[in-house]
Amino acid sequence: MKLNRRRFLTLSAASVGALAFTGEARAFRAPWAAPQKWYEGEVKTVFSYCENCFWKCGIAVKVAGGRVRKIDGQPANPKSRGRLCPRGQAGVAQLYDPDRLKRPLIRIDGSSRGDGKYREASWEEALDYIAERMLGIKEKYGPEAIAWFGHGSGDKWFVEYLPAAWGSPNAAKPAVSICTAPRETASQWTFGRPIGGHEPVDWTETRYIVLIGHHIGEDTHNTQLQDFSEALRLGAKLVVVDPRFSTAASKANRWLPIKPGTDLALLLSWIHVLIKENLFDREYIKKYTVGFEELAVHSNKHTPEWAEKITEIPAETIRAVAREMAAARPRAVIPPGRHTVWYGDDTQRMRAVYILNTLLGNYGVPGGFYLAKPPYLEKYPHPPFPLEPAAGGCSGSSGGEEELPEGFKPRADKDKFFAKTTAIQELIEPMLTGEPYPIRGLVAYGVNLFHSIPNVPRTKKALKGLDLYVAIDVLPQEHVMWADVVLPECTYLERYDDLVGIAHKTPFIELRQPAVEPLWDSKPGWWIARELGLRLGLEEFFQWKDIEEYLNTRLELIGSSLAEMKEKGTLIQRGRPYLKDWERRRRNPFRTPSRKIELYSKTFADHGLDPLPEFTPPMPVPAGFYRLLYGRSPVHSFAKTQNNWILMELNPENEVWINRHEGEAIGVQHGEYVWIENDTGVREGPVRVRLTERIRNDCVYLVHGFGHKSRGERLASGRGASDNALQTRYVLDPISGGAALRNNFVKIIKGAPRPKHKHIGQLARERRL
Amino acid sequence: MTAFYGIPGAEAFWHWTTLVHFLLVALAGGTAFYTAIVGLREPGNLRGLAWLSLVFIILDLFMLWAESPARLRFSHIWLFLSFAPLSAIWWGAWGLSLSALMLILLGTKLGPPRFWSGMLALSSTIVLAYPGYALAANAARPLWDHLVLALFPASGLLLALAVLVWLRPANEAAPWLQIAALASLALTALYPLALASGGADTRAALALWFQDWGWFLLGGVLLFLAAFLARRSPALAGACALAGGFVIRSWIVEHGQHSLFVHGF
Amino acid sequence: MARYAMLIDLAACVGCAACAAACVLENEAPPGHNRLWIRQRELGSFPNVIVEYRPEQCLHCENPPCVPVCPTGASHKTTDGLVMVEVERCIACAACIAACPYDARFMNPAGYVDKCTFCEHRVKEGQDPACVETCPTGCRVFGDLDDPNSSLHEWLAKAERVDVLRPEMGTGPKLMYLNTPSKLGLRNPGSEVES
Repeated sequence: MKLNRRRFLTLSAASVGALAFTGEARAFRAPWAAPQKWYEGEVKTVFSYCENCFWKCGIAVKVAGGRVRKIDGQPANPKSRGRLCPRGQAGVAQLYDPDRLKRPLIRIDGSSRGDGKYREASWEEALDYIAERMLGIKEKYGPEAIAWFGHGSGDKWFVEYLPAAWGSPNAAKPAVSICTAPRETASQWTFGRPIGGHEPVDWTETRYIVLIGHHIGEDTHNTQLQDFSEALRLGAKLVVVDPRFSTAASKANRWLPIKPGTDLALLLSWIHVLIKENLFDREYIKKYTVGFEELAVHSNKHTPEWAEKITEIPAETIRAVAREMAAARPRAVIPPGRHTVWYGDDTQRMRAVYILNTLLGNYGVPGGFYLAKPPYLEKYPHPPFPLEPAAGGCSGSSGGEEELPEGFKPRADKDKFFAKTTAIQELIEPMLTGEPYPIRGLVAYGVNLFHSIPNVPRTKKALKGLDLYVAIDVLPQEHVMWADVVLPECTYLERYDDLVGIAHKTPFIELRQPAVEPLWDSKPGWWIARELGLRLGLEEFFQWKDIEEYLNTRLELIGSSLAEMKEKGTLIQRGRPYLKDWERRRRNPFRTPSRKIELYSKTFADHGLDPLPEFTPPMPVPAGFYRLLYGRSPVHSFAKTQNNWILMELNPENEVWINRHEGEAIGVQHGEYVWIENDTGVREGPVRVRLTERIRNDCVYLVHGFGHKSRGERLASGRGASDNALQTRYVLDPISGGAALRNNFVKIIKGAPRPKHKHIGQLARERRL
Repeated sequence: MTAFYGIPGAEAFWHWTTLVHFLLVALAGGTAFYTAIVGLREPGNLRGLAWLSLVFIILDLFMLWAESPARLRFSHIWLFLSFAPLSAIWWGAWGLSLSALMLILLGTKLGPPRFWSGMLALSSTIVLAYPGYALAANAARPLWDHLVLALFPASGLLLALAVLVWLRPANEAAPWLQIAALASLALTALYPLALASGGADTRAALALWFQDWGWFLLGGVLLFLAAFLARRSPALAGACALAGGFVIRSWIVEHGQHSLFVHGF
Repeated sequence: MARYAMLIDLAACVGCAACAAACVLENEAPPGHNRLWIRQRELGSFPNVIVEYRPEQCLHCENPPCVPVCPTGASHKTTDGLVMVEVERCIACAACIAACPYDARFMNPAGYVDKCTFCEHRVKEGQDPACVETCPTGCRVFGDLDDPNSSLHEWLAKAERVDVLRPEMGTGPKLMYLNTPSKLGLRNPGSEVES
């Protein structure tokens, strides 16, 4: 064909016209045009619940172009109410983290645990490997020789479902004995009710709040922060008792910089003032409680003057606060907090908290504690488990006697403490010593073994001695790369999980559903559990073929369906929040032995424990050392978000808070890097110094979750210091089994080199997915 | 004590390439102005001056384009499709472009040279003036005191003369070199005083100046040497002027970017 | 024709940075730069301490110094009072970054200047900016100052004090801080405890 000018012009015109016609004119975008944003395209919304902490806010995930772009709160969800904390928002970065575990890994034969030598394997090979060894251990030692540790939404499968089906009582969650055990045990034996994962504090109705520790604002459990802020906006008065001037303290009317470890003395003296000055709610005490006479006698000696010498808080302040809270009652509340394993007498301290609340007459009353009701939800109709799940949880049962079925051994930490739930740190000894019986295998799901359980060297020694160690996780955390088999779970945005029921004023059920397909060869926890269960001979408990069937069956049993839940995200039911709601139905909410609130606990007395709280001083601080205190940053969750580039850009390292005068006296400067060494010689750092007026001079403070040693987490590795590594000593609470972590003492060592890290932004750019 | 979650946009926004630009734009504007003056007085004596000046302008424009993060977006076209008389850089773009055009016309000897030279005088004045204006317009940067409105044209002309003193007959440019050097020296000496008489940010601005005043002193010494040696040893004086002018200008541009907001307020 | 403004109640703000994280996702902010950040100030001495958390971002000034310096008109103020960058026209010369007294602007690696836009794309649809929507303490409010029914006026009336950053710059910021805890004025470095 000859291309003359006319032909050429015709062809050109035709092609341009054709392109314009087909809408491909986009191809001719000018080079200076603005790049297209995700919200300009089609956006799909998927309802789910968040996994970045354990609050489990309902979320609305925005998906565009096959990728998750943004996570918002679900407007109708009673937890998030359309709002999210920074970790909830930044979950997208975890999903697209290129450091994530991608394929099952099997440790190379002959290598040691901790060498980090792995080969990739198929799921079949990895699961067969695990099942074969687990069955071998069961045959030789019994099913109890496998311990199951876990934390997260999937811990339903790996710490409750599978261990109960398998027959091992040694299933534990750090959420219990490294966190909530004291407050749950104390609540069970005072009120006969749990506190639960969603603390039932009636924030928006209260007029006077006393926080013991409880650094709301740095601890950003979404709803609690929303309600707390609303309470202050409505004019509630706030008192904060904390050795450190926390964010909450910055909003307080009074800050009581208490000597660490003496909170119980303060609480006892408040009880004393309320009783002595007749400021307590007489009617409430008469109607709902037992043991007041014993309490009154017991509290005689707990004068404010006595407490002043112990707590370093002036007696007049103690009296003033007691009178103020009494004046506001029953709309005065001392919230229970969450992480309560502090000094070893923690259950007794929580008992004192509850006694004080009871004296104010606020339990089950507006402005105090409301009565949280769990939602109506049926279990999946599987055959009865051989064993009842013993791990407890944020709202687990936590008391007294347990029945043991024929042919099964009791949990390996029985008789070490009073409560019925397992204590994760007490299950390490059997791995080392074989007492009371050997534990030879461990399945660890999502629990950060080197950033939670105290005495990390002991944990490492125990892991080295096991016959089998399996880790199921999302990121290559340090403890994960010690396992014999590493199973990559996909993130919460890529999977279904079991339904979550939240006990609340308005109890509700949340669904988790995937927003996108799992990346690489990662699999959801339910699938891993099922595949493992089938190989372990537990088919009868896995009759459901897939999670959709499981969920749909459960939902249909309560008159809903999976389709409805997927559309709504949250199902809300009616609650019974106050005593009057229960009394109207002639029901008694207190499931104590006496069916009343037990100020005096006869059960404790019968077991040789103090029936009323008694103050004992904590371990003293050795000369030249400081007590190590720890807490949260609002930007991070535990040790799981330090590889999230969005959050790390906001807060890339933790700092050791030292009182300014103290710091100047020992010659450290603000912003310099130091080592922190504890009194058993463990050293952490380099970590940055923060000289501050916001802390007493007898303690130092670290945000928990930094100091990662995992080389596979390129953002997290080597930044800051790990408080857990310095927590080599713990004191066992004899009632709840909690491992008290605040009896560790550190000194500051100058001369640490300034770490040479690339900027987070640069690392994020380099390792983009 | 101040701490942050996240960081303010407090990092440097102009880098070493900008410092080179501040040199090239001075050479471009200064040589163009010189060309204009020569063109107005003795149009026959231009010789390669117009081309030299044009080369500097082209180098500067290329530098500005190449160092811009938007280079491949080609959005610079909008400079010539907009009217932004309050923007120094807008004036600069037009000044440089018109100067280039005038220089081409002068170099190719097309049209009335005196007229083009007159136009060139205006456009090159804009080129000499706009860098100082680009700095001084920012009330947010106290180190870019209004004094730079005078210091930058003076030092700009000085830098051009420093080069010209090597390329033109010795006695032609040398006296002007001495005057420009003295003017720049005087303004440099006045600089810390200007900072001290500033407004609210005086204390912080002076603190920043004190941190690195050694470079300032070096620049001042070089300018003094340039003025002193201008008639005795013009080539050496030119080298001193080039170095001194570059040091002072670069110091002001580099340090002036520091954010005071990030630490205080 | 509006006059958009934002109020942040610093008595309520706990500096949790939920707003900063939401902004990154909503606006696809590049790593290495923040449109929005939290400043934490500590004043006083033990045990009489004041801690103030202050989110900072572009203040969408009434007299923005970043607009006249722009050579192409990319940096402009809309009729609704938002200060925006028209990306097409931006030549990345950074004149506007130099002009901003608040460190609010940065160079997006894609070759244009970026900053908080008060989520103009959401405001157009009648939604709140992402930072306002997600804030767990509810300390932010966004609205039209010229709208008598806007909750802005209610907040302003109830506030104990209203402050803006660096008022002496004459920029007229439309992001205003209420109930500033330091209560010593926002421009008083002398009262800070220098480290």
